[in-house]
Amino acid sequence: MNHIPRIGIGGPVGSGKSMLIERLVPMLAKIGYSISIISNDVISKEDADRMRTNLATKRGLLPENMVIGLATGGCPHTAVREDPSMNLSIIEEMEENHPELDLIIIESGGDNITTTFSPILADYFMYIIDVAGGDKYPRKGGLGIESCDLLVINKIDLAELVGANLESMKKDAEKIRKEKPFEFINCKTDQGVKDIVEHIIHDVLFDLPPKSIRSEKVQI
Amino acid sequence: MINISSVIGNIFRDGELQKLEFEKIKISRIELEKRILRRQTDKGTDVGITLDTGFHLHNGDVIGNDETKILIEQIPEKVISIKLKKNSQNLATLLGHIIGNRHRPIGFEDGAVLFPIQADSELEVFERLFKEIIEDIELEIEEKLFLPHTSADVHEH
Repeated sequence: MNHIPRIGIGGPVGSGKSMLIERLVPMLAKIGYSISIISNDVISKEDADRMRTNLATKRGLLPENMVIGLATGGCPHTAVREDPSMNLSIIEEMEENHPELDLIIIESGGDNITTTFSPILADYFMYIIDVAGGDKYPRKGGLGIESCDLLVINKIDLAELVGANLESMKKDAEKIRKEKPFEFINCKTDQGVKDIVEHIIHDVLFDLPPKSIRSEKVQI
Repeated sequence: MINISSVIGNIFRDGELQKLEFEKIKISRIELEKRILRRQTDKGTDVGITLDTGFHLHNGDVIGNDETKILIEQIPEKVISIKLKKNSQNLATLLGHIIGNRHRPIGFEDGAVLFPIQADSELEVFERLFKEIIEDIELEIEEKLFLPHTSADVHEH
């Protein structure tokens, strides 16, 4: 069966996972990539409903049925790591019925710093934190921060207001991540979001253009 | 970019491969489990790996094309190594139960059970978890290649 590349996005409550997706999808869709979103949460489907409204209903960037809310009924991190079977069954159905998709984005609902995605479920793992959680965050490490493919530090516009030192966050991230990448972003203004898109296209899609127009190397 | 969709072989299983000249990619155990991976070799060659669903790389795997052969080298990591001081089925079962509850993959080496940790501070956590059996085990931190037992490297229900 056609394996559609999958990106997992995890991070603490309120760090901006859904907002990041709402910023990434328009940029990727503008290039022509066809995307589906699965949003995991404990009992609510609010994030999925919001993304469906903002991205599908209002802007038509993807079909409404390509935004799926999954109420896990338990800690969302178990549904993306220990037992990803619920997510996998949805993905298998998508791969069967929508081979035109270029990318599936899987959001793990608000959770803790040990969140990771099972490699069976996600091919690429982004972990997102925000400066309002404290500038100690990168330094404290944890499985998500250390092992993710891309660390995203959001809400940099709030740094001054909450007394977060971006320079020390940068140094700590460099130390704990070694050669692995990290990016500072502000989802409210799209600052830095294009860099995330470039990581996705380079590291996950291998610079291939959308399936619908596959010919030459993509231009961002 | 060199596109890779399959593994040629493994130098630990195929002696003939050891005679080849390699470029190298060093990656962590966690990255070895990935199906899609883009990396540069030590010589700067850009490599895009896309393996079939259910497949992943292993330490010593050889990938490449007619011109370039690339050796996958796993990076050592911190592990806790535990040896039982006495031969007891109950003790071994309890030990497995405690490690399993933490969802850690396990490996075996020289009569010890090994599992990965991220920081030395985790030793304290596991000493507390093992408090009922701490007198019956030898526990230490080592930096080594962790090779998960094939039936325990992925946790599925």
